[in-house]
Amino acid sequence: MTPSRRETLQWMIAAAALPLARWTPPAMAGEAAAPFQTVADWPASVPSLPATKGYGRDPDLMDPKVPWPLTLTKPQRATVDLLGDMILPADDVSPGAGQLGVGAFIDEWISAPYPAQQADRARIVGGLMWLDAQAQALHRRAFTGLDVGQRSAMLDALCTAAPAGAMEKPVAFMDRLRGLFVLGFYSLPEGKKDMGYVGETPVEGPYPGPTPEALAHLSQLLGTLKLTPA
Amino acid sequence: MAQARTSADAPADVIIVGSGAAGGMAAYTLTKAGLRCLMLEAGRDYDPQAEVNMFAPESDAPLRGSSTPDKPFGYFDATVDGGWEIDGEPFTNREGTDFRWWRPRMLGGRTNHWGRHVPRWGPYDFKPFSRDGLGVDWPIAYDDVAPFYDRVEKMIGVNGGPIGLENHPDSPPDCLMPPPKPRVTEMLIKAAAESVGIPVRPAHTAVLTRDMPDPVAPRKACFNATPCTRGCTIGAMWQTTTSFLPMAKATGRLTLVTDAMVARVLTGTKGRVSGVEYIDRKTGKRQQVRARAVVLAAGTLETTRLLLNSGEAGRGLANSSGQLGKNLTDSTGATFSAYIPGLADRPRYNEDGIGGQHIYIPFWDYDRQKRGELDFARGYHFEIGGRFGIPPMGVMPRVWGGDLKKAVRHASGATISLVLRGEMIPNADTFCEADPQVKDRFGIPVLRFAFKWSRHEINQVAHGRRSAQSVFEKMKGTLLFDPNVPPEKMMTAGGEIIHELGTARMGPDARTSVVDSYGQAWDADNLVLMDGAIFASGAHKNPTLTILALALRSSERLATRIKSGAIA
Ligand SMILES: Cc1cc2nc3c(=O)[nH]c(=O)nc-3n(C[C@H](O)[C@H](O)[C@H](O)COP(=O)(O)OP(=O)(O)OC[C@H]3O[C@@H](n4cnc5c(N)ncnc54)[C@H](O)[C@@H]3O)c2cc1C
Ligand code: SF4
Repeated sequence: MTPSRRETLQWMIAAAALPLARWTPPAMAGEAAAPFQTVADWPASVPSLPATKGYGRDPDLMDPKVPWPLTLTKPQRATVDLLGDMILPADDVSPGAGQLGVGAFIDEWISAPYPAQQADRARIVGGLMWLDAQAQALHRRAFTGLDVGQRSAMLDALCTAAPAGAMEKPVAFMDRLRGLFVLGFYSLPEGKKDMGYVGETPVEGPYPGPTPEALAHLSQLLGTLKLTPA
Repeated sequence: MAQARTSADAPADVIIVGSGAAGGMAAYTLTKAGLRCLMLEAGRDYDPQAEVNMFAPESDAPLRGSSTPDKPFGYFDATVDGGWEIDGEPFTNREGTDFRWWRPRMLGGRTNHWGRHVPRWGPYDFKPFSRDGLGVDWPIAYDDVAPFYDRVEKMIGVNGGPIGLENHPDSPPDCLMPPPKPRVTEMLIKAAAESVGIPVRPAHTAVLTRDMPDPVAPRKACFNATPCTRGCTIGAMWQTTTSFLPMAKATGRLTLVTDAMVARVLTGTKGRVSGVEYIDRKTGKRQQVRARAVVLAAGTLETTRLLLNSGEAGRGLANSSGQLGKNLTDSTGATFSAYIPGLADRPRYNEDGIGGQHIYIPFWDYDRQKRGELDFARGYHFEIGGRFGIPPMGVMPRVWGGDLKKAVRHASGATISLVLRGEMIPNADTFCEADPQVKDRFGIPVLRFAFKWSRHEINQVAHGRRSAQSVFEKMKGTLLFDPNVPPEKMMTAGGEIIHELGTARMGPDARTSVVDSYGQAWDADNLVLMDGAIFASGAHKNPTLTILALALRSSERLATRIKSGAIA
C-alpha cells in the first residue's frame, strides 16, 4: 500500500475522518477553561439505530446515493445546526456550517450502519442528550433555549485542555463533533474555497509545479531552517 | 469492455487464470505471438470508461467518500466487489495471526486501483543470501531481468528520473518519460533529508507524462487533476483494462470470460496438466476447459490456493518440494507524520500533480549494513505525502468558532508524512495452507494464514522511525507519532501493505522450489505460474514492475516452447 493509494478519501479528508490517536499531539494543549460547578450524568444509552443496510461492496459510482434513513430527531437536528454555526460560524470568507447544511452530513454520518459511524453515533447522540441535560442543570432550559453568552460558555468548557472525570466524555463528544464539522464543511466546494484550495482542474501538458510566490516562501523557510536547497 | 463475454468453448492454446498485471501481460504477449488464449477472470466485467467517476467531488459520495467496511479505500475507489472481505469467500487465520488479504473481484484485478509506484529491483534483491546469508538466492540475477525491465517500462509507460545509488539501478535513457516537477513539501523534504545524509530521488510512477499513441488503446498524458485510485478514463495511469486487455482482444485471439471462478487445475497424463475447472459465479454452474498449457496469474495467494486445491489430496499440485504455501512475505509498513509550523499559511498553488508522490526516499544505508553496524538485514524506503487539504484535528488547538476556521486555513498543507515500506525475510512461522474445515460459497477450501514479523523487520521499522525523526527535526516539525512506543505496535499487520509474495517460489531445482525461473512448474511442464507467488524473496521495492518483467519473460518462453512443439 502506498500513500497515494490512500488518496481517494485521502488527500482531502483522511486526516479529518480519523479518530484522534492514542497519543495527544502538543497542539491540543490549549488554555484550561473554567469547569462547570456541576456536571450532568452522561446518558446511560442512546436510541439504537433501526436495522438498515450500507451501500454494499459494488455501489453505482456514477450515481452515488445514501441508502440509509437519517435518524436525528427534529430538535436534535436543530441543535446540530445551531452548533454548526457556532463551531464554524459565517465570516467574511465563507458561510457558517449550519447555514450550509453540514448538519445533514452529521445526521447521515451517525445514521450509517458501519462500526466507526456507530461508535460516533453513541458519542454524538449521547453528547446532544448530555448537552440538554447540562443546560437544564445550569439554566433550566434546553441548549437551544440558552442565550448566546450561556451557549458560548458551555462550548468554552467543552474545549478545555485537560478534561478529567465527568468531563472526559462531554469533551470527547465535542472533539468528535468539531472533527466531523471540519470534515463535512471543508470537503464542500465552499469549504475548499475557504481554505484557498487550488486544483481539481485538468492541466494539459507537464505539471507546472509551484508558483514563484510559493517558491519564494520555500526559499525563505529554508533560510530560517539553515537548509540548503537541494 | 462490453464485448468481453464470449464462449469458453472455442479451442485455446493457453488458459490464463486472472486478468490483473500478470494475466494481462500473458494475454498481451501470447496473443501477439499468435497463440489463442482463453482468459478466465473470477471478477465481474468492468469498463473504466463507463464506471470511473473521475471528477465528482468527495462531497457527492456518502460520508464524504470516507472509508467504510464496504469500500475500505473510500467510496469512489475503483475496487469492485471485494476489498478486505468478499461476501461468501472468507479466509482464516491460525491463532495469534491477524493476516489481511486484499481481493477485488473485477476484470483487471488490482491494477484498476493500485498505487503505481514502480521501482526497479537491484542486484542485491535477487541475490540476498549471497549478501547476508539469509533466505535464498534467486536462480536469476538482475542482469537477466534488466532487459525485460527496459521493455516493460516502455510498454506500460513509466515516468521518473535517475537515482544513481547502490542497488537502485537506473533505466537506460529511452525507457522513462520525464518526471513531474516536485511540490514545495517535497523540495523541503529533499533539503532536510539530504542535510542528514538521506537521499531523495524522483519516484518511478506508472503514469504517462507524454501521450502514448496506439491504434487500439491510445493513452493520453496525465492532466494532473484527479485521484488515480478511482481509475483513469484517459488511460494515463496504467491498468490492464485500458491497455493490455483491449490490445490482446484486438488480435482476435483472446477469449475472455468474466465471473469465472477457477476451482482447480486438472491433471492429465505424463505429468502434465490438461485444463481447469471453473464455476460461474452467477449461476454456480461448473465447467471444465482444456488447453495445451495453463498459466496461473490469479494473484500470489489465489494461485497458490488453486494448486493446494488441485492434484493430490492433502498435498496439492506441483508440490513435490513441499514448498507450496511457504516463504510468504509482505512489506513492512509504518507511517510517520509531523506538523511543520514553517509551512503554515504558505502561498496556495495547484499541488495536485500526477496523483501520488513525485519524489521518494530509496534505501541508502547499505554501506553501514554491510559493515555490520545495523541491527537488521535488508532495506526499506519512504514514500512521501504532504499536500494542501484538510489538516488533521490533532495539529490544531482545541478551539471553536472563528478561531477554528482560522486554524484550518493556517494549518492546511503543513503536515508531512513519511510512509515506510520495507523488506521482510521469509520465515518458518509465516505461510498459508488449505483450511481443513472452512470452504467458500462455491465449496472450495479457503486459505488459512500464519504470519509473524521477525526482529529484522521490527528493528528495521525502529531505524525508519529514527530516520524520519531526524528529518522532521531539521524542519523543526512537531511529531504526530509517539517516538517511544515499541516499533511492533506501530507496524502494519501482515498482508496490509498488499505486497504478498512467495508461496510457490522459484529455484534451481525441484527439491527446493516449486517452479523454475520461467515460472514453469518442476512437476508439470505445461503449467506456468506468472504472478508474485514465484518470488524467491521480497524486496523493499513494490513488486509489480518485477511481476510484469518476469511475466513477459515467461510468456515469451512459453510461446517459443509451444510453437517449437515442445508442448504438444
Ligand atoms: C491499493 C493498492 C495499491 C497498490 N500499490 C502498488 C504500488 O504502488 N506498486 C506496486 O508495485 N504494487 C502495488 N500494489 C500491488 C499490485 O496491485 C499487485 O502487485 C498487482 O496487481 C499484482 O498483479 P497480479 O496479476 O498478480 O494480481 P491481481 O492484479 O490481483 O490480479 C489477479 C486477478 O485474478 C483474479 N482471480 C483470483 N482468483 C481467481 C480464480 N480462482 N479464478 C479466476 N480468476 C481469479 C482476480 O479476480 C484478479 O482479477 C497495490 C495494490 C493495491 C490493492
Ligand atoms: S491524475 Fe493523471 S493518471 Fe491520475 S487519474 Fe488523473 S489523469 Fe489519470
